[in-house]
Amino acid sequence: MFKLSDEGINFVKKELARYETKRSAIIPCLYRVQKENDGWVSPESVSYLSELMELPEAWINEVLNFYTMFNKKPVGKLHVQVCNNISCCMLGARELTDHLCKTFNVKPEEISEDGKITISKVECLGSCDTAPMMQINDDYHENLTPGSAEKIIKGMLNGN
Amino acid sequence: MPKITLNGKSIEVADGITIIEAYKQLDEPIAHYCWHPGLTIAGVCRLCVVEIEGNPRLQIACNTVVQDGMVVNNNSEKVKTAVKWGLDFHLINHPLDCPICDQAGECELQNQYMEFGKYDPEMAEHKVKKRKVVDLGERIVLDTERCILCSRCVRFTNEVSKTNELGIFNRGDRSEVGTFEDKPLNNKYSVNTVDICPVGALTSKDFRFRQRVWYLKDKPSICTGCSTGCSVNVYYNEEGIFRLKPRFNKDVNGYWMCDEGRDIYKHINKENRMVRGRYKKDGAWCSTLPLETAKKAGEKLRTYSADQIAVLVTGQYTNEELDVFVNYAVNKLGTKNIFHWKNNPDGWNEFDGLLLRGDKNPNSKGLQKVLQKHTVGGEWKDLVNQIDKFKAVVVAGPENLQAYPDLKEKIGTLARLECVVWATADDNIAFEGLMDFTYLIPQKTSVEKSGHFTNYNGLEQKVDVVTTLLSDSLNLEETVELLVGESVDMSQREKEDMHVMKKNYFTTERGRL
Repeated sequence: MFKLSDEGINFVKKELARYETKRSAIIPCLYRVQKENDGWVSPESVSYLSELMELPEAWINEVLNFYTMFNKKPVGKLHVQVCNNISCCMLGARELTDHLCKTFNVKPEEISEDGKITISKVECLGSCDTAPMMQINDDYHENLTPGSAEKIIKGMLNGN
Repeated sequence: MPKITLNGKSIEVADGITIIEAYKQLDEPIAHYCWHPGLTIAGVCRLCVVEIEGNPRLQIACNTVVQDGMVVNNNSEKVKTAVKWGLDFHLINHPLDCPICDQAGECELQNQYMEFGKYDPEMAEHKVKKRKVVDLGERIVLDTERCILCSRCVRFTNEVSKTNELGIFNRGDRSEVGTFEDKPLNNKYSVNTVDICPVGALTSKDFRFRQRVWYLKDKPSICTGCSTGCSVNVYYNEEGIFRLKPRFNKDVNGYWMCDEGRDIYKHINKENRMVRGRYKKDGAWCSTLPLETAKKAGEKLRTYSADQIAVLVTGQYTNEELDVFVNYAVNKLGTKNIFHWKNNPDGWNEFDGLLLRGDKNPNSKGLQKVLQKHTVGGEWKDLVNQIDKFKAVVVAGPENLQAYPDLKEKIGTLARLECVVWATADDNIAFEGLMDFTYLIPQKTSVEKSGHFTNYNGLEQKVDVVTTLLSDSLNLEETVELLVGESVDMSQREKEDMHVMKKNYFTTERGRL
C-alpha cells in the first residue's frame, strides 16, 4: 500500500493551502507522488492521494490521464525520454531511439528485464536548439549522437 | 425586463437569462447537446451558435446573457453552416451502430441530425476505436465510443448527486468518459445520467434491449415509491410497463428521480400481481374472481360484531379511496379500531437531502388527514397490544410489498386472528402463512386508477389512468363497498377498461406498421 513520506504529506498540505481551490493543487501533488512511487503513479496512489487531498478520485484521474509527464505504468530506475518532435527527428532522433533500444535490449515504453531502464518517445521537450536531445529522469542531455547518448546512459547505469 | 428579437420575433424576457433559454421560451428550434436546464453551463458542444447583430463572430446561445435590444437569429446561412459542420465533427468518431443502439428513437444525435445535419459527410478518416460495453455497476452500461463528450453526466454527478464518480479521461480524440478504474456508479440517482445522456453512451441495464422506444407510449403519473411523490412519465405498451422517467416539476423533483423509484413499475406488472381473488377454506386455497372473493369476505365479516373487527390501513391508496374506505369502516362496519401501518416507523422521517424519504408510501399525509377527520387511528403497536380483543381484521395492504420488508413477520402476527381480509395488488409467498378464513382481494395499482396523492409537503397531485393491466381487479372503494354488502356495478367499468386496453393495443399496433 503506497503512502507518502511525512515530508511528502507536509508538501501536499502546503500545496493545498496555496491555491484558491483544492483542484489546483493536483499537479504538484501528483509530481510528488510520482517521485516517491518509483517514477510512476499507480491507481492505489491515486486513491491514497484522493483521501489525503479530500478530492474525488475521478478528478485526480482526469488530470493524471491528461498529461503525458505522469507515468501510468512502472518505469525503470533510469527513465530515458527521447524527444521525437520535428526538430529532433530531422536530426536523427528516431534513429537515436532505435539505437538506444537495441543497445540496452528494451522495447520503447517498456521496462527492461533488470528494471533499470525505460526508453520512451515523447513530444517536444522545448529544447529544439540543441536537438536531438533526451531527458533522463529530471535532467536534459543535449546535442546527442547515438554514441554520446549511449555513453551517458552507460555511465549512469554503472554509477548506480 | 430586456426586449430582444429572436429570428424576427420580439419577446420580453426575464433579466439575466441566456439566449438559449429565450429560444426555449419562444419554442423556436435550436440545436444543442451539452446544455441542460438542470445543470451548469459547459459550452462544449458548440452547436447552439447564434448570430447576434453587431457581433462579428457567432456566439454560443447557452453562455450568452440577453441584453436589451439584442437582435439574434439562428436561421441564417452562416449559422446553419456552422451547425452542420459542428455536427459533422461530433460524428467523426461516433460509431454508426444505431440499429443495435438502445438509444435509437430517442437519440438527440439522431434528432438533431435529422433537423440540422449536413447529410453529406466529408470525413473519410478511420474512426478511433474505444471501449464498448463497460460495466458500471448495478444499473449502468457505458459505451465510450458513442459518447460525444457533452459532460452532462459528469456535471450531474458533481452538481446534483454530489458523488463525483464520473470524469473525462485522456485527451484529444482519445478522450473518454468513465469512472476511476471502472468503479461502479452505484449512487442512488445514477440512472438520471442515462436520461440526460443525449446519445447511447450510458444505457440502463434494466431497460436496454427490452423494448424499442417507438413501441412504447408514455403518460404522466406520480411515482409511488416514497412520500416525495416525484412527477414521472410511465412508458408502457400492451405487454406492460417498461420504465419510468422523471417529468419536470419545479415544486417537487426538478428534472430528477431516484433509482429506487424507477423500480416500482416491476410490482405493477402482471407477473408479480395477484391475478385472481383467493380465499382459504379447510386448509386449501380456492380462487375466484376478485368481485366474488370480496363478496364472500363481506359475508364472513358481517358475522362479527363491530368491536371484534380491526382495520389496518397503509398510505398506498388515493385520497378518494381512503376517504370512502375509512368512512365505511367507521360508519358501516362500525369500528373505531383503525390502525395506520407504516413501513418503517423508526426511519419514517429520514430524508437524504435530495429526493428519497424513509416513508415509502405515496399518500401517508392523505391517510393521516382522513384518519384525523374521523378521529381514529393508532399505530401497529397499538394493534398488537390489544390483538386478543379482535377476531377479524381488514387490511388495506401495501401495493408495493417490497417497501414493507417485515411483511412476513406482520402476517405471522395477523394469522392469530380468526378472519383476515386483505386487499393487495401484489402476490407474495408470505401470504401462504395465513390460516382459514383468509380472503385476498386483488387491487388495482396506482397506474390503473385516477385520484389524488398528498405528498410529504401536503401537495395534492393528481394521477390518471395510464393503462389497465388486470381489468377485473378492484379499487379500494369498490372493495369496501362489497365488504359492507353493497353491490358494485362492474359492467360500466369493464367497458372503460376494455376501451383503454384497446386504445393501447391500437397505438402499439400502429407503431409496428
